[in-house]
Amino acid sequence: MAQLQTKGLGRAREIYRDRARRARELKKEGRKIFGYLDINPPVEILTAAGIVPFHLLGDMSEPITKADVCLPTVVCPFLRSVMDQGLKGKYDFLDGALFSHTCEVAEKMSHIWRIYLGDSEVYYIDTPHTTHDAAVKQHKYLLEDFIKALAESTGAEITPERLREAVALHNEQRALVRELYDLKKPDPPLISGRETIQVIVALTVLPVTEGNELLREVISEVKQRPEKPPQQPARLLVWGSIMDNTALVEMIESIGANVVMDDNALGSRAYFEDVEASDDPLDGLAYHYLVSIRNPRTFRETVLDKEGRKDYMTDLEARFGHLRDYAREWHANGVILQALRYCDSHAYEVPGIGDYLDHVGLPHIYLELDYNQSALAQLRTRIQAFLELLD
Amino acid sequence: MAEVKKKPINRLKTMYPLRALVDGMYERAQEASREGRPVAWCMVNWWGGDVVLRAMDVACIYPEDYGAVCAAFGAAPAHMARCDADGFPTHMCGYARNTLGYTAIMSELGEIPPDVPMGGMPKPTLLLGSAYFCDTRYKWFQSLGRYLDAPLWVLEMPHPGVKEYQTEGAPEHDIAFLVAELKGFAAFLEKLLKKKMDWDRFAELVDDTIEMNRVWYEVNELRKAVPCPMHSRDFWSSMPASLYMAADPKETARLYRDMYDEVKALVDNRQGAVAEEKYRLAFAELPPWHSLKFFDSLAERGWNFVIESWAYHPPKPIDLSHIKDPVEKIARLTYRYFTGFFADACATQDWWGYFEHPYLEYAREYRCDGIFLHPLLTCRTATNHLMVVQDQAMKRLKVPSIVIEGDIVDLSLFDPADALRKAETFEETMDYYKEMRQKEGLDW
Amino acid sequence: MTEKTMTDRRYFAGLDLGSTMTKVIIVNDNEKVLARVESHTGAEHRRLANKVMEEALQQAKIPFDAVTYIVATGYGRINVPFADRQITELTCHARGVASFFPKVRTALDIGGQDAKGLKLDAGGKLVNFVMNDRCAAGTGRFLEVIAKMLGIPLEDLGSLSLKSKNKVNISSTCTIFAQQEVNGRLSEGAPIEDIVAGIHDAIARRAVAILKRLKIEPEIVFTGGVAKNIGVVKAVGENLGREVLVPADPLISGALGAGLLGKEIAAKARAEGKSLPKAERRLAEATFFT
Repeated sequence: MAQLQTKGLGRAREIYRDRARRARELKKEGRKIFGYLDINPPVEILTAAGIVPFHLLGDMSEPITKADVCLPTVVCPFLRSVMDQGLKGKYDFLDGALFSHTCEVAEKMSHIWRIYLGDSEVYYIDTPHTTHDAAVKQHKYLLEDFIKALAESTGAEITPERLREAVALHNEQRALVRELYDLKKPDPPLISGRETIQVIVALTVLPVTEGNELLREVISEVKQRPEKPPQQPARLLVWGSIMDNTALVEMIESIGANVVMDDNALGSRAYFEDVEASDDPLDGLAYHYLVSIRNPRTFRETVLDKEGRKDYMTDLEARFGHLRDYAREWHANGVILQALRYCDSHAYEVPGIGDYLDHVGLPHIYLELDYNQSALAQLRTRIQAFLELLD
Repeated sequence: MAEVKKKPINRLKTMYPLRALVDGMYERAQEASREGRPVAWCMVNWWGGDVVLRAMDVACIYPEDYGAVCAAFGAAPAHMARCDADGFPTHMCGYARNTLGYTAIMSELGEIPPDVPMGGMPKPTLLLGSAYFCDTRYKWFQSLGRYLDAPLWVLEMPHPGVKEYQTEGAPEHDIAFLVAELKGFAAFLEKLLKKKMDWDRFAELVDDTIEMNRVWYEVNELRKAVPCPMHSRDFWSSMPASLYMAADPKETARLYRDMYDEVKALVDNRQGAVAEEKYRLAFAELPPWHSLKFFDSLAERGWNFVIESWAYHPPKPIDLSHIKDPVEKIARLTYRYFTGFFADACATQDWWGYFEHPYLEYAREYRCDGIFLHPLLTCRTATNHLMVVQDQAMKRLKVPSIVIEGDIVDLSLFDPADALRKAETFEETMDYYKEMRQKEGLDW
Repeated sequence: MTEKTMTDRRYFAGLDLGSTMTKVIIVNDNEKVLARVESHTGAEHRRLANKVMEEALQQAKIPFDAVTYIVATGYGRINVPFADRQITELTCHARGVASFFPKVRTALDIGGQDAKGLKLDAGGKLVNFVMNDRCAAGTGRFLEVIAKMLGIPLEDLGSLSLKSKNKVNISSTCTIFAQQEVNGRLSEGAPIEDIVAGIHDAIARRAVAILKRLKIEPEIVFTGGVAKNIGVVKAVGENLGREVLVPADPLISGALGAGLLGKEIAAKARAEGKSLPKAERRLAEATFFT
C-alpha cells in the first residue's frame, strides 16, 4: 500500500480519494465522529463537544442499489447516494449524525436515517426558511435544544467558552479558505478548480485544527511551486448544487477553461462569511446558519426599489449580486449554472440568475447533472460550445 | 320504467353541496378583482394564513388547485410549454410549471388569457407562500417575481421530528414561532391593504374553523365502521371545502354536520359505500383527480377505499377552549395537524411522524387490507414517503401495498387498464396477508 | 512560390462526423466549394474519417499536405487524428448557416439523433444555443421509427404528409407512446396521410419548443437531414407562424462551417503575425477511441 502523503496538496488528494480511511484513523485515536449533511448544521457545536464533524457525501461511481427501499428515484441523486452509502455500511464508523432542514428531502433523510440506520445519537435541527426575526429566534431555541440533548447524551460539556473557541477555530478555517481562493485570482490561477475541490472535500473529514494545518500547508505549497495550472482562454465561475467530486470541473478544465471561482455548498458558500463572535455564541451561530449563508433554500425578503415597490431586477441584485462581484474579483468571463436533476431549491433560481447575468453582461449556460459519469460525458459538447461562444 | 343501473360507489348526497362550494372560488375571486377588492394567490397553509386573509376580506385562490383544474381540462400542456420556453427546468412540480406559464402569458397579455378553465386566476394583489412540506411551495412564488410585482409573504411552519417534539419546551417554542409568524403576516397585510385587522372577526373565524374541522374529523371517524359507509371519492370531493376555506367556515361546518348525519345513518344501517366490501384500502397520497372513475371499476371488484391522503385530513381534535389568544388557537390547530400522530409514532418507535406514520395508524384503525400507493413523477413531496410506507406497513403490520404510478399534470402516465390488471393479482396478495396477520394475532 | 500564388492555393477542410452521416467539405480561400462528400457514418466511422477525407481530396484534386487547416466537428470529432482543431457542431453550424443566409438570426438543425437550436447575432456569430440529445422524439430517429412501422420509405413520408386534409393529433411526447397512438389511429381507420401529417406536426412541435427557449427572430433557417423532408418544413413553419428558410443543401452546414472557421483561424493567425497551430498529421485511421 502506498505511503500516505503527509503534507499539502498530496495529502489533500489522498484524503479526498478515501475519506473513510482518515475517519477510521481518527476513531482509533479515540475521536468521536458525527456525520452531517450540507451547509446548515452548525459544525461549531460538534467541535465544541469534542466531536469531529464528517460531511456525509455520496459516491458518484457507485450505482444505487439499496436506497430504493426508502427513497423514490425522483429525488436528488446525491441524497439517494448518501442514503445508499449508509445502507451499505460505508458509514459504520459514525458515532452519530446531525441533520437539518437544508431542503425538503434532507429533512426527510433525518427520519429515514433513524428508521433504517438506528435512532441513537441522531439529531435534527429544523432550520427555519425565512430571515424573519422570529425565525432567527426560533433557530436559536433549536440550537439550544440540540446542545442540551447532545450534552446529556454524550456527557460533553458544551460551555459558551468552548463554543466561542470553536467559532474562532472555524472562522480561522474560513479565513484560510478565502486565502486559498485568493490564489485563484491571478492568470493563470495558482491552484486549479480540481485541486480546490480536493482540498475542500478533505477538510470535511478533518478536525478543524487539522484542517487549518492542511490549509496552511497547501497555501504555502501552492505559492512556492513552479508548476501551475495552464493559462486558458476562459475563466469560469461555477454555481449550483453541491459538488462533492471533481468530475465536472475536471472535464471543464480539460476542454479549455480554468474554474477560478464557485458558489456551492462545498465551496465559497460555506466559507465566505464568518460567524459573528457574539457574546452569546448561539446568537452568532443562529444568524449565520440561517441568514448569512447564501443558500437558495432560505427565502430572502424581496428587496424593494427606491420607491418601495417590488422590482424584479432590484430583488435579483440583492440575491445574486455577489456573483457579479466574484466574477469581477476573480476575472471570470463566464458562468456555469449547474443543478442536480430534481434539486428544487436550485432549479427555481436558474431563470432568475440567468436574467441577472444577462443584465450585468456575463455569459452563462445551464447544465443539468445526473450524478453519474456517463451523463457527464454527454455535457462535453455543450460546455465546449459555451467556451467557443466566449471566444 | 327503465331500471337505473346501480352505481358501483354509493355517493353521499351531502357531498354535492360541499363540492359546489369550492367551484365558486374562482368566480368569487374574479368578481373581487373586477370590483377592485384584494385577491391573494395562496399556497395551502392549513388555515392560519387563510383566516388572516379572510378576516381582512381578501379573496383567495389556490394555484395548487388550479394546476389540477388545468390538467383535467387539458390546458396544462400549453402553460408548461411556456414555462419550459422561459428556461425553467422540466423536472419541477407540474402545478408550479402550470402557474408560471399561465402567469407569463397573463402578464404578456395584460389580462387573464382567453379560454382558460374556470375563467382563470385574476392578477393577485399579494402572494402567500408556505414553507410547509416542500421547497417548491415558496420558491415557486418567488419565481413569479419575474412576471408579477405582487408582494410575497412566506409563512413559516415548524417541522419537528418525533424526537424533537418530545423535547421539553420544544412544542411551546414552535407554537410561539407560529404565532409570531401569523402576527407578522397580519402586520404585513395591514400595511399593504392600508386597513386594520378586525381581531374580533378574526377570533370568530378561528373558532368557526376549529369547529368546522372538528365536525369534519368526526365524519371521518365514522369511516372506521365495517362496512365503511363513505368512499375516498367522497372524501376528496368534500375536503377542499376545509382545505381551501372556500366559504365561511360556519356554512361549511353546517354542511359537514349534514354529512355526519347522513354517514351516521349509514353506519347504523350497516350500509357500505360499495355493494360488497371485500377489501378495505388506504390510498397514498394525491389522487388522480382526472381519473377518479377508475375507482368505480375497483369498487365493482369489492374494493372500498376507506381512508386516504393524510395531508388533506383535518387535525385530531384538541381542546383549545382555555386559550385566550385566537392567534395562538389557530397556531395550535395547525401544529396539531402536523404532530397529531407523533405520540403513536413515538410509542411504536417509528420516527417519521407525519406523512409516513399516519398510514400505519390508519391501517390499524381503519382495518386496511392493503395500501394503494400512487407515486407522482413531478411531485416529490407526495411521493417521498411512499417507499417507507410500503416497507414499514409490511414489516410491522403485514399489510401489503400496490404501486401504480402517475403524475399531477401529465395525465397520460396513469394507465387505468394496467392498474386494473395489477389489481387482480393484488387481491391474492391481500388475501394471503390477511391470513398472515391473523397468525400474528392482529385482529383484522 | 510567391505569396500571391500561395494565397490562391490555400485550402481548408471541414469534417462533420455525425452519428448518422459523415460530411466533408473542402473550400478554397475564396470560399468556393471544391469537394463535397457525404457518407453513412456506420459503426466504422471512428476509423474511416481518413477514407472520406481521401475521397474529398480526390474530388478537389489536391494532395493532403496542401490543406492549410482542417477542422473536425460533430459527434465523432474527437476521432479525427489528422484534424488541426475540433470545434463543436453548434459553432460550426452557425457559421455554415450564416454563409447561406447572412441575415439568419435563429437556426434549427435536426439530425438523425439530435436537434439543436441556434441563436446568432447580426454578425452571424453564435450567441446562444439549446440542445436535445437525450430524447429521440424530436429527431430524425422518430421519423425512421414511424416509417419502419408503417412500411413506408423514409424519403416518401414528407410528400405523403402534404396530402393530408385533416391531420391527426399525436399528443405523446415520447416515441414509444407515439407509436402506440399511431397504432390506435390506424385501427380506428384514420387515413395514413393524416397520421403521417400528425407525426410531422409532433416533431415540429418538439422542434419549435427547443427554439422557443431562444428568442426567435427572423430570418429563421432549418438545416439537417430532417430539413429535406418537406412535410416537416411545412409543419415547422406552421407551428412557428413564420417563414422558415431551407438551404439547397441542408446537410452540409456543419462541414462547411467547419471549413470556413478553419479559414478564419488561418487568416487571424496571419494577421497577428503568429504561426498557425497545426496538429502533427497523418492521414490514417484513428488508433484510439474516446
